[in-house]
Amino acid sequence: MSTPSATTPPVTGLKSPGPGLLTLDPAHTALLGALDVLLGGLAARLSAPEVTGPPLLPADGLARLDYFRNFPHLGVAAGRFAPDAHDLLAAGQAPGDRSLEPTGYLLPSATCYGLLLSLEGADVGEDGLRLSAAGRCFRNETHYDGLRRLWGFHMREVVYLGTKEGAVQHLERGAEFIQRTAALLGLDLTRAAADDPFYDKGGSRARLMALDPVKHEYSAPDGTAVASVNRHRNFFGERLDIRAGAHGPAHSSCVAFGLERWTHAMLLAHGGPEEALARVRAATA
Amino acid sequence: MERVTAWIQDKNPGLEGPVDAHEDLIEARLIDSMDFLEFIDLLEDISGTSIDLQEVTIDDFRTLARVQERFLAPTA
Repeated sequence: MSTPSATTPPVTGLKSPGPGLLTLDPAHTALLGALDVLLGGLAARLSAPEVTGPPLLPADGLARLDYFRNFPHLGVAAGRFAPDAHDLLAAGQAPGDRSLEPTGYLLPSATCYGLLLSLEGADVGEDGLRLSAAGRCFRNETHYDGLRRLWGFHMREVVYLGTKEGAVQHLERGAEFIQRTAALLGLDLTRAAADDPFYDKGGSRARLMALDPVKHEYSAPDGTAVASVNRHRNFFGERLDIRAGAHGPAHSSCVAFGLERWTHAMLLAHGGPEEALARVRAATA
Repeated sequence: MERVTAWIQDKNPGLEGPVDAHEDLIEARLIDSMDFLEFIDLLEDISGTSIDLQEVTIDDFRTLARVQERFLAPTA
């Protein structure tokens, strides 16, 4: 589904600092911000308060969530220069020649991980808990493609933890919101079971997911997935000892939006950022 | 079926009491996704026949009752 993008934003005077990295100009920044406000409307509808997740995640916490078993290739680790390099760097030596030592932390690859890890040991009660957050997420990719595939991007998520029924209902309401919002924006989105980028595509988890998809994506006509609805069963509840009162380990689910990808989809559908922004503002009013 | 229930008990040491024949093994994650292929191997070993994942649905694994009916019942 990877076709050349015709919507890589013009970066007049704003150069890309590297592969998968873009500086958005004012018009595209306004469009992305307006989309976040509009899509954040799901949080308001579901009474999910806004929180700010941590900027780095502990590797050992992610390991407990099987992150490295599933996606060892995606993680962008935070490193620091060893003390013996400091003098050389201060003397002007190129930093690319110096090795980094691990910190035990990674940049987030999804917004929900930080929120879930922060809830370890919590009881969210039988009424459950919803949270909304947007954050920059980072993934090592084999190729990058304009706004469609970036090294770092913004992901808005609305997360639910509570009962099995509540987790299902959360996704149903999220799916309705996505369809309604897409219609307001003049976007033609297609829903399909997701093909997650598991490292071991023939492995147990990937094979079960093929039989029982726990993630569905909504994609623009060019195949760019802009949103997903994800159910986790009681996986995070068990691994992180998050309970839902008498129901035991909490079930969880989340609705996720890739903001640069919504920006891309709007440009694809409506041309320039000004036209797309007008459409978002009309939908927000 | 004893080997199947023993396998589930072994994978879920915190389980209290027997698993109901109609309990949803997938949704309750009594069969964890990381162990799914091991569970398939177990069924193949018990039944002596191979399971083609192209020819089954998730509901075939969802309950002990269905597992018994689909994979472990004597063939006519």
